[in-house]
Amino acid sequence: MEDFVSAIQSAYNFRIVGQYVDEFARGIGHTVTAAASALVLSLVFGLALALMRISGRRFLSHPAAAYIQIIRSTPLLLQIYIVYFGLPAVFPSMGRLPEIFLGIIALTMHTGAYMAEIIRSGLLSVPSGQREGAIAVGMTTFQQYRYVILPQGIVNIIPALLGQTAILIKDTSLLSLITVFDLVSAGMLLNSDRVRPNEAFLTIAAIYFVIYLLVLFLSRLVEDRLAGRGWRVPA
Amino acid sequence: MRRILKSIATAVVAATAIAASTAAHAEDIMDRILQRGELRVGVQTQGEPVSFIDKNGDRTGLAIDLVTMMAKDLNVKLVIQDYDWKGLIPALLADKFDIIAADMTPTPERTAALLFSKPFFYQDTIAFTAKDKPFTKWEDLNTAGVSVGGTQGGTYIVAIKEFMPNATAKEFASGPASAQAVASGRVDAGVSSVSNVAAYSTSFDNLKVLDGVITREPLAFATRKENIQLKFWMDNYIDLITADRKLDRLLDYWWNTTAWEKDHK
Amino acid sequence: MIGQFLDFLGADLAHYWKIAAAVMPALLKGFVETLKLALVGILWGSFLGGTLGILRGQHIRVATPLIGAYLHLLRGTPFLVQLYVIYFVLPNTGYSWLQWDSQTAAFVSLGIYTSSYVTEIVSGAIRAIPRGQWEGAFALGFNRLKTLRLIILPQSIGLILPALGGVYVTLIKATSIVSVVGIVELMRQADISIVRFPGDILYIYFLAGALYFAFCFPVLMIVGRLEERSKNGRMVRA
Repeated sequence: MEDFVSAIQSAYNFRIVGQYVDEFARGIGHTVTAAASALVLSLVFGLALALMRISGRRFLSHPAAAYIQIIRSTPLLLQIYIVYFGLPAVFPSMGRLPEIFLGIIALTMHTGAYMAEIIRSGLLSVPSGQREGAIAVGMTTFQQYRYVILPQGIVNIIPALLGQTAILIKDTSLLSLITVFDLVSAGMLLNSDRVRPNEAFLTIAAIYFVIYLLVLFLSRLVEDRLAGRGWRVPA
Repeated sequence: MRRILKSIATAVVAATAIAASTAAHAEDIMDRILQRGELRVGVQTQGEPVSFIDKNGDRTGLAIDLVTMMAKDLNVKLVIQDYDWKGLIPALLADKFDIIAADMTPTPERTAALLFSKPFFYQDTIAFTAKDKPFTKWEDLNTAGVSVGGTQGGTYIVAIKEFMPNATAKEFASGPASAQAVASGRVDAGVSSVSNVAAYSTSFDNLKVLDGVITREPLAFATRKENIQLKFWMDNYIDLITADRKLDRLLDYWWNTTAWEKDHK
Repeated sequence: MIGQFLDFLGADLAHYWKIAAAVMPALLKGFVETLKLALVGILWGSFLGGTLGILRGQHIRVATPLIGAYLHLLRGTPFLVQLYVIYFVLPNTGYSWLQWDSQTAAFVSLGIYTSSYVTEIVSGAIRAIPRGQWEGAFALGFNRLKTLRLIILPQSIGLILPALGGVYVTLIKATSIVSVVGIVELMRQADISIVRFPGDILYIYFLAGALYFAFCFPVLMIVGRLEERSKNGRMVRA
């Protein structure tokens, strides 16, 4: 037993990780702030893009489709650099914004395009009879979406939204390119200070995993709230 | 809960596996290098003139010339593996190669986990800024409200925090990104090595070097803790090439002058 | 005035042209490497993910929670760490068949990473089909496989394809991380080139971005085309 404990201690030294608690806490703070803000903003932005795309009016659907294609076809790293170096060049007042704000803008622009495609597929998955029914009982367009289409559409795409959120949470680590000290930065600091990669990588993994489990738990709550489980696949 | 337990189990298995692996390499390192006929060296591409890709697309630089010489004198083949900084240390510890030949400073903390050779050469850390900034020497940067950029996980950030405690340190993913940030006014100044700053000033025409040297970093090659004979072999090698002035010749070509530029730039 | 501007533009264009000529060979070499990584990741990630996704969509007692653990573990941790474990930790377990070189390790981890997203998309799309469809098919005497092939999958494909396109282009982001295990792909080539020309960091990233675009855009177009076709097919049948 003692051998086992000392083997673990030599491969993963809790004491050393303990000396970096402050750095990890700072990193978690930035990772969670960036991911949560970008998630909310990109859902709103993505919904707007998706509605534009399925609106059937060309002056709305074409720009939205082009935006989504372009964003999804270019790397996030480039988008972050363009927002960081480019936006303040165009709007000098933005140069005073903290890096994390610019990072959240870039992440929202990026994730919004992915969210739009997911939301669009969800909206299209609602049978057209549902909409016709809503029109028949005299609902306005807003009411149709609010009470009939969105709740059913969203429930179908919750797994995909969760997947995209998982990607977003990990994408926040790219903000370290523009000096945001995130969770991965904390681990990499430990790695290069102490030359202890196990402590660095496995700690990062464990913390990300806990954040992911929390999001998973929340998504289950939303799913149960929006739809019972009764009408789906035979158990 | 089951999921969490599973992930913890994976971590534990991974950790014990690494611990167990250390025992497997009891055989002497120099014997293994000679049997294999290969000296495996891990490098990164931190820039001119230490390790970089030249105009012909070949990897070259001071560190590369040093390990080429080492392999030749051992009568073995040189195998170079290029990793980015995140992967360099894990790869050494996982025995993917024998030596890290990069600009790594043997700090007390790192020396507790790795074996470093004696320093091959010394590198000065200096500061640079945009031409329209009022600073003249690096000490001017130590002012509240001034932001200074450096490379993540490097000794430059440590230098900023230690010698400019009043300034705000900004950590960039790469040296060029910090130079771009200084040139475009996103940060007030940057800290890097003399050779990197020289490269930045030729690429960005609005940069200037600030007076004074902040720190002088010894640069040494590293190997795993159990490779004791390799460490002594490298130390002895430094003594030898110092005595026959080969090291001086290399340093003159790469380090103290810009003689290398006409062949490689 | 205009002449001056053109001179300025000409000088600038000459500079950009010179940089492009200097770095493009390296970037193209990296692009080929990235393409290889992405294609292998897509192919066997989709195969593995599709199989696991169909299994998970069925509610089989042992398989469903096990597959769930697999995909949550993979999606909840960064690719960087998965690669770390596969390349740096697994070889130390002593099994010789786990001693992968960096290329194999990258292929394996990219495939596994992709499969975790594909699994969830496929199983989610299968479960989105109302249970009445299954019951109807069973009532007609279809078995599980036949129901899946003829009734369920054709209906879920419209939900699968758009999301799949997203995963394939997301995979590209993951390929840029494999430089950690010593593979010199497109982003690494760009970084190496930037070390030579630090003043052109944005431009070189832009060139690399154009190459990524050359991969991602057709992928998204093809997926979009397939999606249209699946929709038309459904409408014809209805």
